[in-house]
Amino acid sequence: MADIIDVSDLVLVYADGTKAVDDISFSVSEGEFFGFLGPNGAGKSTTIKVLTTLLRKTSGTVKVAGYDMERNPQEIRKLVGVEAQESVLDPDLTGRENMTLQGNLQQMRGPELTERVDELLKLVELEQVADKMAGRYSGGMKKRLQLASSLVHKPRLLFLDEPTTGLDPQSRVGIWKYLEKLNKLEGITIFLTTQYLEEADKLCGRLAIVDFGKIVASGSPAELKREVGADTINFSLEGGGQDGEAAKAKKILSSLEGVTEVFDSDGGLTAHAKDASRIIAIVVRALDEGGIRLSSLNVSTPSLDDVFLQHTGRRIRAEELGRMPDRRGAFGMRRRI
Amino acid sequence: MTLLFDTQYLFVRALKKVIRNPILLFFSLFQPVIFLTLFTQLFKGLGAIPGFPSGSYIAFVTPGILLQNGFTSALSSGTSMVDELNSGFLQNMLVTQVNRSAILLGRLLSDAFRVTVQSIIILVMAYALGAQIVTGVAGVVVILLTIATFGLAWSGISLSIGLATRRAETVTAIGFFLTFPLLFMSTALFPQAFLPTWMQAVSSVNPVSYNVNAIRALALGGITWSTLLSAYGVTALLALLTLGATLYQFRKVVS
Repeated sequence: MADIIDVSDLVLVYADGTKAVDDISFSVSEGEFFGFLGPNGAGKSTTIKVLTTLLRKTSGTVKVAGYDMERNPQEIRKLVGVEAQESVLDPDLTGRENMTLQGNLQQMRGPELTERVDELLKLVELEQVADKMAGRYSGGMKKRLQLASSLVHKPRLLFLDEPTTGLDPQSRVGIWKYLEKLNKLEGITIFLTTQYLEEADKLCGRLAIVDFGKIVASGSPAELKREVGADTINFSLEGGGQDGEAAKAKKILSSLEGVTEVFDSDGGLTAHAKDASRIIAIVVRALDEGGIRLSSLNVSTPSLDDVFLQHTGRRIRAEELGRMPDRRGAFGMRRRI
Repeated sequence: MTLLFDTQYLFVRALKKVIRNPILLFFSLFQPVIFLTLFTQLFKGLGAIPGFPSGSYIAFVTPGILLQNGFTSALSSGTSMVDELNSGFLQNMLVTQVNRSAILLGRLLSDAFRVTVQSIIILVMAYALGAQIVTGVAGVVVILLTIATFGLAWSGISLSIGLATRRAETVTAIGFFLTFPLLFMSTALFPQAFLPTWMQAVSSVNPVSYNVNAIRALALGGITWSTLLSAYGVTALLALLTLGATLYQFRKVVS
């Protein structure tokens, strides 16, 4: 199938010199469900802004459906739908009016638009509240309305910038359901960014793991996990591994047969090992003999988090916890639209 | 064609926002009433002072209040734009096929419309209090047009500041900083002869004075083409500057 997105050597440097996107290349085929997984500030939103004509790239080539970003932005706008990360609804308009305005701006009017709006309100199950002010909607309802708005002009390609960030688990699963439906039943190509491992794992047929503006790995979730090639053993050390305990434990673990890699993680260590459950007894004994006290231990098959860890040396979860408001603020400031 | 349609959509949306926001609606409608009441009550005695050009202070000050209201309202253009920039609403429009100029035009026209409605309220009230427009309906239409165009030119200031700084506080601060000195150092509230000499100098180059004089002439005297033309000339010059700056900042944002 033809590539609907074709990006090579894309670089984006903001006016203040921040390199938000650092030489990335990737392509997405028509009909794919493709994802960018990475922590805040990895360059996910910036990439979407370039692909949706909001930001002018510094260098590289970007083609969407064969159209050149600079020469045919209007053609691209016709066939892409975008759901921004922030709520972009007008709180003083009803859900229906918000969607109708969106349709109007996409050059639709008359009965064709009315029907489309009704159809989409039904799809995202908002018919009951369609005539209430959008400002009164819950977070999940707002996201659903935004999703529906981005679909009003029947785009072939949908960009979703963290569509479930800040939602409760139930609303998140609801959004997932619509997205799978859109991709599978309507054949819409979806490009999604997320910082949630589960979301990427569940939805994306193929994904790229991004960090500091670079793609560090890409492939299907299964491929990526297979590449890790080993199970994960997570250790929590008593007292958080202070006084060189962690270093000592690391040394012991590294010397064991079957253990391929050892990383530091919050309050403990993470080791990769083939068939971890078989060697677990040996591992525990070795640590015990070395005088290392464990507060907990668990063994798991590889997750995308392990993939991220392997490529970046950090856990994506730690980034999520460390989502400091000032970091967001700084990003928002330098962000051009 | 798309420009017309898109402008209309955004114009309607902006008006809906005002109408549906009862507090905003209340203040937009009563702001002019409050100004008119305050000024006419406070300075009622001025009309009796020898050397005051016309009979009543209310007839004299109504043009000034009309204009003052016009440019106070124009400040809100910038703050609404900042709001749209920061909420992401503008970005959301920019990923659609909307005509770019319609985004500005819809905003400007809806603000001009609002100022016109407010101006009509002031005129009706002033009439009820005894002020009259000697040039009749035609005069009223020209007066409304004068205020609307001056308001548009003034909107350019708040819009360009808003687009450049993206902070509503900055727009309001700079807006008020410009508005009040210009208002007091003009012929809006007092006859020029009543001002200290140095203020008279400012007043004679103040765009506010030109516009107030034109409106006042229409209300109290009759149509004087020279006054009218110089008012429109000054407004055009101001608009060229402020809307030019707005367009420049807007281009930077949308490209």
